[in-house]
Amino acid sequence: MYRVEQNIFFRSPDVILFCLSMPLVVFLLIAMIAGGKDAADSGLTYLQSSYVALSTVGICCSAFMSIPITIVELRSQGILRRMYCSPCSPARLLFCDTLCSGVMSACSTLILTIAAVVFFGYRMQGNVLVYIALWLLTMISMFSIGLMVASLCRTTKSMNVATSLLYFPMLLFSGATIPSEVFPATLRAVAEWMPLGMGIRLLKSVSMGCYDHMVMPVAALTAMAVVCGAMAVKTFRWE
Amino acid sequence: MNEPAVMVQNLTKSFSGRRVVDGLSFQVQKGEVFALLGHNGAGKSTTIDLILGLKAPDEGSASIWGMDAARSRKQVFERVGVQLQNTQYQPNITVEEACIEYASLYAAPENYPRLLKQFGLDALKKSFVSKLSGGERQKLSVVLALLGNPDIVFLDELTTGLDVVARREVWRTLKQLKEQGLTIFLTTHYMEEAEALCDRACIIKSGKKVAEGTVNEVIAASGQKNLEDAYLYLMGEEELL
Repeated sequence: MYRVEQNIFFRSPDVILFCLSMPLVVFLLIAMIAGGKDAADSGLTYLQSSYVALSTVGICCSAFMSIPITIVELRSQGILRRMYCSPCSPARLLFCDTLCSGVMSACSTLILTIAAVVFFGYRMQGNVLVYIALWLLTMISMFSIGLMVASLCRTTKSMNVATSLLYFPMLLFSGATIPSEVFPATLRAVAEWMPLGMGIRLLKSVSMGCYDHMVMPVAALTAMAVVCGAMAVKTFRWE
Repeated sequence: MNEPAVMVQNLTKSFSGRRVVDGLSFQVQKGEVFALLGHNGAGKSTTIDLILGLKAPDEGSASIWGMDAARSRKQVFERVGVQLQNTQYQPNITVEEACIEYASLYAAPENYPRLLKQFGLDALKKSFVSKLSGGERQKLSVVLALLGNPDIVFLDELTTGLDVVARREVWRTLKQLKEQGLTIFLTTHYMEEAEALCDRACIIKSGKKVAEGTVNEVIAASGQKNLEDAYLYLMGEEELL
């Protein structure tokens, strides 16, 4: 079943466009324009900073576009209802789809990593395993927000509004696409409090090999994952 | 083995004060084709939802093979195949993928290439479900309903919206299934369909039972010459009361 869902997933062009190519294109642009320059006072070059930030774009796309859209569509088309009439729980279908989104985000990051390492000689100063762990944490908490949106929205319309409200600000202002170092101070403060911004900041400091001040954001992301995940399960409806 | 396949007792369901299913009782015996007949909006689909446990009844009860579908979902649906009205498929899914996906839901699924062949869909295995014609899609939904190797299938308005040829084709497959001993519960508003396929029928109007029995019994009770006239007669009589 997972295999089939994955196939279907790869067949939709918007996923390829947003999730896989966009981060890469933005990364190439930033790297070519300003790759070697220092990004403000962060101690990172633009290349380093944007690699980290863009590695979360896949997560953002999956969490606020793919997941809610797929689930709400499955519900409005009666597929979840039909799945309910089988010995298996529709939860399995949802799990498969969420897993697909996870794999997709991972692919997106992988492609980016290859590009960064091969073409721009990027090397991470911090521990790669810690980076991956935090990346996964960021993904889980973003996904739980996405799942909560899917549970709360009754119609495709309201879901579209909700996801756009979440997706575009997060994508643009949390520093995922546009490096937050170029933002004015106030906007940067806002970005730091966005869930995705928190994740990006964490990842950035780890990529520099700096492990201070990590408890708060990690706790916040974990709490978010738990709360939103619980909300998603609690308010979920088949129809 | 006298346990009825489906037992519905005093089933009642209201939506915002309107009684959609009203004190409905009937039984479906093993191996028979049973039709629930009525106008659009008479409560046919709601009755199916209630039997399948998709909705909870306000009063009364329904059971399949003596089990409550909402409570023992796993056991019930290993033995029950379902085709729901207006079920769509994921965009970009092929016929074969749909089969694999639905087959993965069951513990001991039927071999799907065989079913596709039986229904004349094997040439379309690689086509997208969205590109199928209405008749082909309905046949596919029957295939998916049969994938779990069920003892009973629920078919909700299977032939609505199909042209005459496609409808006849679906009838033919249903007759084959009946010969194989499958119990079939169907809803329709085509009387000639009920007459051609069904052993017994139950006519409902505004969620209430108007008539029940074998097709001949229903016709005889109304004093008309065919089921369509009987149906109109029974519906009209109810209105005069």
